[in-house]
Amino acid sequence: MKMHRFVLGVCITLTIAFPLFSMGTQKERPLTVYAYDSFSGDWGPGEEVVSSFEAKHGIPVRVISAGDGLEMLTKVIAEKDRPYADVVIGISDEMATKAYRADLFEPYHSPILSEIPEFLHFDPEHRLLPFDYGNFAFIIDSERIPEEDRPKSLADLTHPRFRKSLILIDPRTSSVGLGLLLWTIRIFGEEGWLDWWEAMKDQALTITDGWSSAYGLFTEGEAPIVLSYTTSPVYHYTYEGSTRYQALIFDEGHQTTIEGVGMLRSSSRKEEAKLFIDFLLGEAQLPIAMANSMYPANGNTPLSEGFAYAPKPKVSLRMASEVIEKNLDRWLHEWTEVMSR
Amino acid sequence: MKDYRRFYRQKSIGPLIILFSLFILPLALTIRSGLWEEGSFTVKRIVSALIDPYTQRILLFTLKQALYSTLASLVIGLPGAYILATYSFRGKKLIRALATIPFVLPSILVVLGFVIFFGNTGTLNTILMKVFDLDDPPVKILYSFAAIILAHAFYNFPIVMSIVATAWEGLDTKLEAAAATLGSSPRKVLRTITLPRLFPSIISAAVLVFLFCFNSFAIILVLGGGPRFTTLEVEIYRQARMMGDPSGASALAIVSLLINGILFFGYALGQRKLTVAEPMVERAFEERRPTPIRTFFILLYSLFTILFLLGPILAVLSRSFIGSASRAGEATFSITWYRQLLGLERPPGHMSSALAALINSTLIGVAVSILTVTLALLLSVSIVRRNKSSSALELFGMLPMMTSSVIIGLGYVLIARLFRPSLFGTYLLITLAHTVIAFPFALRTILPGVRSLPEAYLHASYTLGFSPGKTFRTIEIPLLRRTLLTAAIFSFALSLGEFNATLILSGSQVVTLPVVMYRLIGSYHFQGACALGSILIITSGLAFFLGEVAKGDSV
Repeated sequence: MKMHRFVLGVCITLTIAFPLFSMGTQKERPLTVYAYDSFSGDWGPGEEVVSSFEAKHGIPVRVISAGDGLEMLTKVIAEKDRPYADVVIGISDEMATKAYRADLFEPYHSPILSEIPEFLHFDPEHRLLPFDYGNFAFIIDSERIPEEDRPKSLADLTHPRFRKSLILIDPRTSSVGLGLLLWTIRIFGEEGWLDWWEAMKDQALTITDGWSSAYGLFTEGEAPIVLSYTTSPVYHYTYEGSTRYQALIFDEGHQTTIEGVGMLRSSSRKEEAKLFIDFLLGEAQLPIAMANSMYPANGNTPLSEGFAYAPKPKVSLRMASEVIEKNLDRWLHEWTEVMSR
Repeated sequence: MKDYRRFYRQKSIGPLIILFSLFILPLALTIRSGLWEEGSFTVKRIVSALIDPYTQRILLFTLKQALYSTLASLVIGLPGAYILATYSFRGKKLIRALATIPFVLPSILVVLGFVIFFGNTGTLNTILMKVFDLDDPPVKILYSFAAIILAHAFYNFPIVMSIVATAWEGLDTKLEAAAATLGSSPRKVLRTITLPRLFPSIISAAVLVFLFCFNSFAIILVLGGGPRFTTLEVEIYRQARMMGDPSGASALAIVSLLINGILFFGYALGQRKLTVAEPMVERAFEERRPTPIRTFFILLYSLFTILFLLGPILAVLSRSFIGSASRAGEATFSITWYRQLLGLERPPGHMSSALAALINSTLIGVAVSILTVTLALLLSVSIVRRNKSSSALELFGMLPMMTSSVIIGLGYVLIARLFRPSLFGTYLLITLAHTVIAFPFALRTILPGVRSLPEAYLHASYTLGFSPGKTFRTIEIPLLRRTLLTAAIFSFALSLGEFNATLILSGSQVVTLPVVMYRLIGSYHFQGACALGSILIITSGLAFFLGEVAKGDSV
């Protein structure tokens, strides 16, 4: 008899308490967009892009930070049967094959594609549409690394004077981390790349899971060198008027990455999703370029003067998505093996 | 008269069924997921995990850091135990009280406090650089092995201190006095008479600390970094969430459970063997005042303890009031983070989900404390009143304590995969997981309260014609009011700070206070994280305070 009352009490409590949760989360189901952490992070363009899109089309949008690039892709694949998202922002060309294989995205021939230069169309079927691109680079704190001490190549970073001075990023979770892994394979080849990483165990202050943590750690002053993009100084010039943080250009070349946006096949709001993608490739290009600190994919986007502080690499390195797909598991395994030793 | 026992026996059925399904079901799913493949039993996953050099290194690192952390906790905690047990001095109560702080602090808060206090640009280094006019931060321990050990020592040395001090205070000093009369030096007395008798308590404290550090998660997740500083629990999370491989995670979880089981079994065995039946006595404190040198060391130790315990917490509180326009800007006093937290300003980034997190965490906390206290009360009365096979029930109630919260979280991830809950369902699962985690603590609070309630009251009530049900409602519950409230607040505080199970269970949409704090720490928005952290500090402080009050006057 008491039992019933107890169970009843529990049920009542739960029924009262739980609809309230929705107050804390969302009112109606808006267009749901997954983005890597930094997109809607404190420095990201997310806020500006979303509010101007909402103002223009009257479609509410909810951006969800889904971890760094690879983590986000894993999440989308894991949720395939019961997806939350309609649009996914930030699948880079390096990991695209994994996304194709899972058959996540529906092709979309956006009218704006014609404004994007040919070399950026990494997916001929347009399941993923390029919205920005950039080159990986190491950023230094110029107040702590004098001009004459600056490294001029990846190999220079193994010098003892940079001991505990680098912040690196885990290639198992982050597309930036993956970028560096591919970069070292391009420069040192299959024979030498792991030796470089072996040396990094003394050079790295820490290896973070994602770019946001790494870059935050860097600007907090915990270490003077961080892995990022050649375009990162643009942000500091534009929003802080500072040229303290500078990108290092290596003559041997820089790994290039193209970031894509795609509409999930499972989405029930494809029309809105298309509008959002068009907006991202069109009007949103400028804020994306500025806050995301990447080159806009759309050739018609005027570059702000801040981009003068983003040095152009002399050599851009690419690696075919198929080659990456074929070898990635082995590379990551070897990397983990070396770095955990 | 007899049938009141039946009444209480029936009381235990409901909570037992609920607990069983809340705790055993997720655990069973974990074991199935680790050991079954396409319907048939296989140890393939566990074997391949065990022969993989990477897993071996993780396991080795996990054991190594737990061992070092235990040693560090002993080194810091034992002098404290000695001081507390030997001398009586002013401020002793304060130190004892301060030492309970880490018990109630959520791990994510400790991590935040550590980063802010010990970081290269943290409070400690800033002060040292100003005082000694240095250009470089002198204390560079963050993101190193030492940082992990130090954080674990912070968390666990009070355990050593209080367990050993309690045992020490209970030792009869006659033996020492006799040995001294027979000509032994004080050092020899300590070595040959006192320490051997303290040994059981030191060992039990050490094993407990080792277990806690073995299962440590948040501290490693944030202060570790990279494949080199990864423990088993962190790898379970990584495989389940980042790699999308719950089966691999389950295999690791089984390994972890086995090791935990072995450690716990060894602990229980050792306890039985080592415990010497010695009557507890009121210890007479040394009459003579400590020598000046000793006074100096006692003061130094107390000062160190206070700084070590309060430094990180005060750093969190004060940092939450610092606003800066840009990352390069000057620090100024500001309540802007609290305004953002309460939704008075619309902030960018992760701070925008702070208000939702606060609401969600509070709601979950309330639901958890109602559920937990109800279950724990029903189980407690039936343990105490039915008089038969009660210790088995009690042991069962304590079981979730022996399982790491990451593994409980993993079990709920597997439940979630069974029926793919909506967002609402995910919050429900989080609530249930919190209930399992908080339950043993509620039981431990309520059980002594019920035990101390004289059964004669009940008999008197029955004699006056009240039914067992009415007696329970009108006599027992009102008498237990204060105990129940304490348990409820404890459960609420535990739920509010619960990070491990919540993080592993949360999709990208779930926001609770610790999860948002973790994301803010991840993007180095420390001020925001501190504002959220301060709320946790206040709640934990309240739980701590009420715990102390309840200790003072039990029913």
